[in-house]
Formats: sequence, structure tokens, C-alpha cells
Amino acid sequence: MNSRSAAERAEALGRRRARVLPFLAILLIAQQGTFFSNHPGADRPVDHFKIAAWLVLSAVILFALWTGGSWLQPKPVRELLNDETTQVHRAQAFRTAFLASMLGCIFLYFLTIWTHVDAREAVHIIMTIGLSAALLSFGYLERRAHRGE
Amino acid sequence: MGERLANRIKERRGELGLTQAELADRVGVTRKTVNTVENGVFTPSATLAIKLAGALGVSVERLFWIEG
Repeated sequence: MNSRSAAERAEALGRRRARVLPFLAILLIAQQGTFFSNHPGADRPVDHFKIAAWLVLSAVILFALWTGGSWLQPKPVRELLNDETTQVHRAQAFRTAFLASMLGCIFLYFLTIWTHVDAREAVHIIMTIGLSAALLSFGYLERRAHRGE
Repeated sequence: MGERLANRIKERRGELGLTQAELADRVGVTRKTVNTVENGVFTPSATLAIKLAGALGVSVERLFWIEG
């Protein structure tokens, strides 16, 4: 693969990534709807499967955000997909996610004054807030960067 | 504060007849990165600034300056 085709491929994949990120956030949030609509008392094998699917998706998203993703791409494409602006955008997305998670914790703290929230529910809420914030922030920054010439 | 890093990348690129993609290729980044630096959205690292200046055949000081 020559450098020109790697650049073109990275450009196309970068644009696609920027478009997909908000949808991943929506998918993650939608999974929470399923979890909380069946919860509590969700103890059937299918419920455990749904929770495991959410956990796997969350772990994959976290790992992709942390490492830059695109693991199956050739090295030149992977490096272009994770160039200087992308690294800065990912770092900014993690900052946003940290802030959102902390605000989520404060919200949960006050929520438990009025209602019971078990540990699993709290984990779902905080992870979803953090990962969704990271995905939306990263997606927004990447889309903005791709705009115009 | 209120300082920003201004640049003449677009002007110099035009003089050399380079597109953003061609400049990006010379520097080893994506077009997106050149676009954000050129528009002042992103402040490049010293490494990238030196590479951009080298690819455009000017000194870093001529390519970038601080405004405000």
C-alpha cells in the first residue's frame, strides 16, 4: 500500500468514524433503556446475556477510545487515523467523559437520598454517562475538524 | 490571554499550488489536521509546526506568529 492510498483510506475511514460515533452513543443509551425496563428481577439467562452484551460493548468502546481503534487496518492507515489532532481530540473526549462521570456521581449521590439505587444500576448509569460523553465529544470534534477546506 | 497562533499556510500553499491533501501527504498527517491548523482551530505541536514549515519551504517564524 503506497502512502497516497493510505492517506485516502484514512481520510475516508476518519469521516466514517466521525459519523458513526454519535450512533454508538445512542446505541449505548438505548441498551440502558432495555436494562432499566426489565430491572429489577431480571434474572433469566437472556437478561444476563443482555447485560454481558452491554458490558462487552462498553469495554470495546473504552478500549477503542483509549488505543485509537482501527486495529484491523494496516499500520500506515492506523497511524494516520490517530494523528496529532485525533490524539488531542481523544484526550479532550476523555476529559469531557471524566467531568460528565463525576457530575453523574454527584447526581446519583443526591438521588439516593430519595430512592434506592443498587450498585449495578449505579455502574450502568455512570459508565453510560462517561462513555456517551466521550463518544459525543470525540465525534463532534472530529466532524468539526473534517468540515471545510 | 486571548492570544492565538495565526499562520499563512493557506497563502503559502496557494503559492506552491498544493492542496491540503498534498501538503498533508508531505507532512505525514491527514488532510483534517492540515485543515484545522490552517483555520486556526488547532494549535500544532512544535514538531508538526517545523514539519509544515519545512514542507512549505519557509521558516517556522514566517509561517506562524502570535496574534492578540
